[in-house]
Amino acid sequence: MLDAHIVKRRPRFTVDVAVRVRSGEACGLFGVSGSGKSTVLACIAGAEAPDGGHVTVDAVTVFPPPLPLHQRQVGYLTQDANLFPHLRVADNVWFGLTNGNRDANAPWVAELRERLQLGPVWQAPATAISGGQARRVALARMLARKPPIVLLDEPFSGLDRHLVRELVSAIVQWQADLRFTMLVVGHESDVLERLCPRAIAIEDGRAVQDAPWAELRTKPATPLLAQLLAPL
Amino acid sequence: MLVKRVAAVIFAFALLYPFVGLFVPVGPWRWGDGAATVDSVRVSLLFTGIAMVVVVVIGTPMALYIARSATRERLWWQAILLVSVLLPPLALGILLSLAFGPHALGAYLERFGLKMTNTPLAFVTTQVYVSIGYYVLGAVAALDGVPRTLEIQGGLLGHDRWSVFWRITFPIARLGFAVALSLAWVRALTEFGAVVITAYYPAGMPVALWTSLENFGLPAVMPLLVVFLLTALPLPWLAHVLAQRRTARA
Repeated sequence: MLDAHIVKRRPRFTVDVAVRVRSGEACGLFGVSGSGKSTVLACIAGAEAPDGGHVTVDAVTVFPPPLPLHQRQVGYLTQDANLFPHLRVADNVWFGLTNGNRDANAPWVAELRERLQLGPVWQAPATAISGGQARRVALARMLARKPPIVLLDEPFSGLDRHLVRELVSAIVQWQADLRFTMLVVGHESDVLERLCPRAIAIEDGRAVQDAPWAELRTKPATPLLAQLLAPL
Repeated sequence: MLVKRVAAVIFAFALLYPFVGLFVPVGPWRWGDGAATVDSVRVSLLFTGIAMVVVVVIGTPMALYIARSATRERLWWQAILLVSVLLPPLALGILLSLAFGPHALGAYLERFGLKMTNTPLAFVTTQVYVSIGYYVLGAVAALDGVPRTLEIQGGLLGHDRWSVFWRITFPIARLGFAVALSLAWVRALTEFGAVVITAYYPAGMPVALWTSLENFGLPAVMPLLVVFLLTALPLPWLAHVLAQRRTARA
């Protein structure tokens, strides 16, 4: 169970959002750009320090006080792949696995390599691959450790639809198999809906609605949300 | 391309031009005091080596702290570091000898048998003081080139701070660290103005150069200059070579 209440001051407004996601559940954070969704995710991951609130994962307190990053059982994928530029693709993927658990995880890493089509670039330097490939390597690197909590911050922005479809179906399958708890930030409702049965709508740093997609579409809490979910 | 290369060659020529002085007739070269010369090389290399260990051990965590601190605090740190770098060496030597002299900290240190004038301790302390600012400023610049997001990812992938530093931060910033270390090395090894005040003895190469010039004239300085070049250059250059090779391999 992920239980978080994030308070973070921003120049325009204060982000103040509570998020509760049951173990193995997937939940979306939905809203326009600049509404504070990514801030919530960054604070839960530990990439940013919240000004207040709390974060607990399965009854373990992550904040406050802030738990050191390496002790957080969290996978965090952002719009930037953030690959380690001095390492090869393979070394990036293996980075989170210690020597002790490498053998046990070899079949899993092989599956990630196969499913994400990383074979042709496996030995390439991380700086020598395309943006789309880098995003897939980052996904493989994050999932290699099988983290119980997965945080995705608009992981597919800028990728072509074909690739997005493949990645979404892979993540949906892995989430069902591994039963990790997932929180996904996005502003494209169709992609987010494929990944998460429910979403929290955020506007100007506040959660305005927390509901399944059907309810969000039929009874949007605000005019802006209705606009965002209206068909083109 | 040709124009750029020609410009680069002119630049290199201008940098190396003073070494033409080695071929200007000044009379037959001779060792002023052979034993003292060998000893000055030993003193310079040994004590500069010790000073660099101190500089790296203290300077690296400091650089990490400064590089990751808020902008306002950073500016204060940079001002403090620049003070140690900007003072004329002679003034620095005078200040150091006063600050560590009998009317200040020196009185307390002497109770523990630590003499801060004309001792190896004085020599190394002076070298550390004159060079650590260069190292830290260089290392901070190198660390600025490492995106914080990579370190965060490293942490979230289960690596503690130490491991993140050695496996992510340092490999990415290594060329900058090599530059910082070689600047500090050269600064410490060639220091004359401050060392001549705080530690005239044991004499390092710069002081030996000076005394050779005073006692025996230019012919005795020239061989010492060559020795100086041959011993001072390899280490910082090796640091660059290693950093470049690893960069090329990665």
